[in-house]
Amino acid sequence: MSRASRRQYHQRLKGALDNTFLGQTLARFQGNYRGSRQAGFAGMDFEALAAEVGAAKDAALGQLEALYQQFKAQAEAAGATVHLAHDAAHAREIIADIAAQTGSRRIIKSKSMTSEEIHLNRHLEAQGLKVTETDLGEWIIQLRGEGPSHMVAPAIHLSRSQVAELFTQVTGEKQDPEDIASLVEVARQRLRQTMLEADMGISGANFALASTGSIATVTNEGNARLVTTLPKVHVALVGLEKLVPDLHTALKILQLLPRSATGQLISTYVTWVTGAVECAANGGKKELHIVFLDNGRLALSQDPVFSQALRCLRCGSCANVCPIFGKVGGHNYGHVYIGAIGLILTYFYHGREAAQELVGNCLNCQACKVNCPADIDLPALIKKTAGLVMAEQGRPLKNQLLRRVLTNRPLFHFLLRRAYLAQKPLAGGGRLIRHLPLFFAPDQEFRSLPVVAAEPLRDRWQRLAPKVSKPRLKVALFGGCLVDFVYPEQAEAFLGLIQGKDIQVDYARDQSCCGLPAAMASEEETAREVARQNLAALDAKQHDYVLTLCASCASHLKKYPALLADDPVWSQRARHLAAKVIDLASFLQKEVGLKPSAEQDKAVAYHAPCHLCRGLGVHEAPKELLREAGYDYRPYDDEEVCCGFGGSYSLDFPELSAAILERKLRQVAATGADTLVTDCPGCVLQLEGGLDHLGSPIKVRHLAQALAEAKDK
Amino acid sequence: MNQKELRQEFGRKAEAVSAVVTPVADLAQAFAQAARLTAQQGGQCLAAPGWEADELAALQAACELEGLELITQGLRARTGEFHTGLTRAQWGVAETGTIVMESSSEELRLASMLSEVHVAVLPAAKLRADLFALEDELNRTLAGAPGYLAFISGPSRTGDIELVLTLGAHGPRQLHIMLLEEGS
Repeated sequence: MSRASRRQYHQRLKGALDNTFLGQTLARFQGNYRGSRQAGFAGMDFEALAAEVGAAKDAALGQLEALYQQFKAQAEAAGATVHLAHDAAHAREIIADIAAQTGSRRIIKSKSMTSEEIHLNRHLEAQGLKVTETDLGEWIIQLRGEGPSHMVAPAIHLSRSQVAELFTQVTGEKQDPEDIASLVEVARQRLRQTMLEADMGISGANFALASTGSIATVTNEGNARLVTTLPKVHVALVGLEKLVPDLHTALKILQLLPRSATGQLISTYVTWVTGAVECAANGGKKELHIVFLDNGRLALSQDPVFSQALRCLRCGSCANVCPIFGKVGGHNYGHVYIGAIGLILTYFYHGREAAQELVGNCLNCQACKVNCPADIDLPALIKKTAGLVMAEQGRPLKNQLLRRVLTNRPLFHFLLRRAYLAQKPLAGGGRLIRHLPLFFAPDQEFRSLPVVAAEPLRDRWQRLAPKVSKPRLKVALFGGCLVDFVYPEQAEAFLGLIQGKDIQVDYARDQSCCGLPAAMASEEETAREVARQNLAALDAKQHDYVLTLCASCASHLKKYPALLADDPVWSQRARHLAAKVIDLASFLQKEVGLKPSAEQDKAVAYHAPCHLCRGLGVHEAPKELLREAGYDYRPYDDEEVCCGFGGSYSLDFPELSAAILERKLRQVAATGADTLVTDCPGCVLQLEGGLDHLGSPIKVRHLAQALAEAKDK
Repeated sequence: MNQKELRQEFGRKAEAVSAVVTPVADLAQAFAQAARLTAQQGGQCLAAPGWEADELAALQAACELEGLELITQGLRARTGEFHTGLTRAQWGVAETGTIVMESSSEELRLASMLSEVHVAVLPAAKLRADLFALEDELNRTLAGAPGYLAFISGPSRTGDIELVLTLGAHGPRQLHIMLLEEGS
């Protein structure tokens, strides 16, 4: 990865972060979306429906060639001509040829991401053809010479003033930016005439039904209906992955697509075109060409890992819920395809160079994954795509180091202990390092960093281990690097909570890092090796639970079975371990039953760690415990939005990590809480460091500490 | 859902997407309503393709009463002149407030796309709970190729400028559904 391209990308990100209008628009967009989506799915079992759609798409992807043949036979029997384009250039040629053969000079288009993928307009214009986008957002960006910044709302990066200015130029008449209806009217008037005069209409398609040879478009404006009706020629450009066997599958998808895209129960127009329909402009019958685009899709559909990416319905929800997109917008978070799916598809459709910087820009916060209507494991695929990029480019030095250090626990822990000595002069006796030497970590000054503990948990364990003669429960404590070496006091607080409850707690000395940092760095083999070491150290069979105070470790330990699925020696132990992993709040609620405390004089806000709320599906337990402990719990909108830490993400993308953190802390401050509670030491690090940097009086506590302090009262 | 619940749900959902649902006792009443609202909005021409001769006679009378021109074909040449497009809808879907319109005839499409106001007459007996309840009918319709089938839910809209919902993007600015009580 060249340093220059990296520097350029960071400059673009900084530029986006400095654009206040963009930030406000995206924040409003994401806020509105959250509410609309929730309303759209009210009373529905989203998870089950998404799993169903994912399975239905997989089934279709497994037989794309057969579906294509069936579609072709049906559509051609109904008077259409069906083409298969092998790649972008081939598709462009086919469409330009159709234009030439039909004498089409004036072309109108409705929105098609597939046409953006193959840069169709540029090619047709180079042939001297006049191409006009008719979707309002697409028209706006076409006039500005830009690409879309969102798959559903392509001009979402622009303000009404910018649109008014543009339309003033286009019409030669002053346009009022406050009157959005009249701006829409400009497009309606101008484009109506263009549409009536056009020779050819180009549309995309949301579905292609093999059973009947029908194509469907799902739209709101109604332009796609005009594009497919008015001109004598209709060309539909369709990605092969849009093929589904039948109407039933399409209706299943249609249940989720508009709800996921905008929160609408259904889009205004869902239009099904089968064959050469009536068209007076062409002497009675429309000339219909359906151009299917392969461009790598057939090969991708056969890939055991990446075929999932082809399930994508193009709803845009992965961008709508992404904290990074929310800060920098689609022009900096995608190439043609935007958002989490864009990070993956860019590599496959537009190559390594277009993808190499983008693909590292993921927090692994899981927000896209739990909102995906096709049940795509987007964060995992992003990491795997980064692995492919790395395989092409050679592994960077930091990955080689990571592998060497992480797979050698004694070396790793030796280095952590040495860190304590190295940091001493910087911390000045405090618990946080406020200023780093710049050569060490540029752009890291948005937060203070915690100091490594003088005595790690493992060295304290003999003293701390509860002495229980007849245990009713046996718990293996998985510390994780941060609790063990930075925040042993969090483990001490936990032990205080279960004192006298007849619970035996063991701390295996040979346990190491859970391996998540390796997985995040696309070092799968390292992640596997570390997992094996932990499985050897922790014998789940001897314990009722494997408890960890770190949500990230917990959710990663739960992934061991998938990670080691093909490992004949360790896969079974991985399953045993994963089944026993539990987070603190669930454990306390299930097994300990803390006594409700008297009212505390503290107001607390809660930060839900990504890997707890989305990774483990634990949403309410920590807040219930805080309320029972007598705290005045104060909710806020972004409680379940990532804090921007993401492990090494905050080192690789400090500008974004800082911006995402800032938004969270602003909301927390507005609650009036004096304490911010969370249950992941990584989040504690980020939140505490950020608050300290701001000089905020708000204190950060791990849930274990907050509960222990309440009890002490 | 029984018939009454279907009607209520359809009404609620159609109105939620800014369609106007008006119960009518018979076709004559639907025609009178369509003609009246056209005239009230200052329209001078009503386009009504696809109706039978006897129905057209009744519609002609309604239009004359309001001083409107009635056209039934050649809509392409009259673009911008007809204010209202009056068509049938084959089915209604309660879950989403959607009307399903078989529009393989180009005139039907133009009437429902290029008009300022689309008025669709939907027999109440053709309401279904959701699209899945219509699957057989839809499959039969799609199999009758070539064809053009539309699910329409409310008037045309856009949110492309700052996500501000604006009605009347490229299609009708209003959608009126005349819910016909008598048998189809």
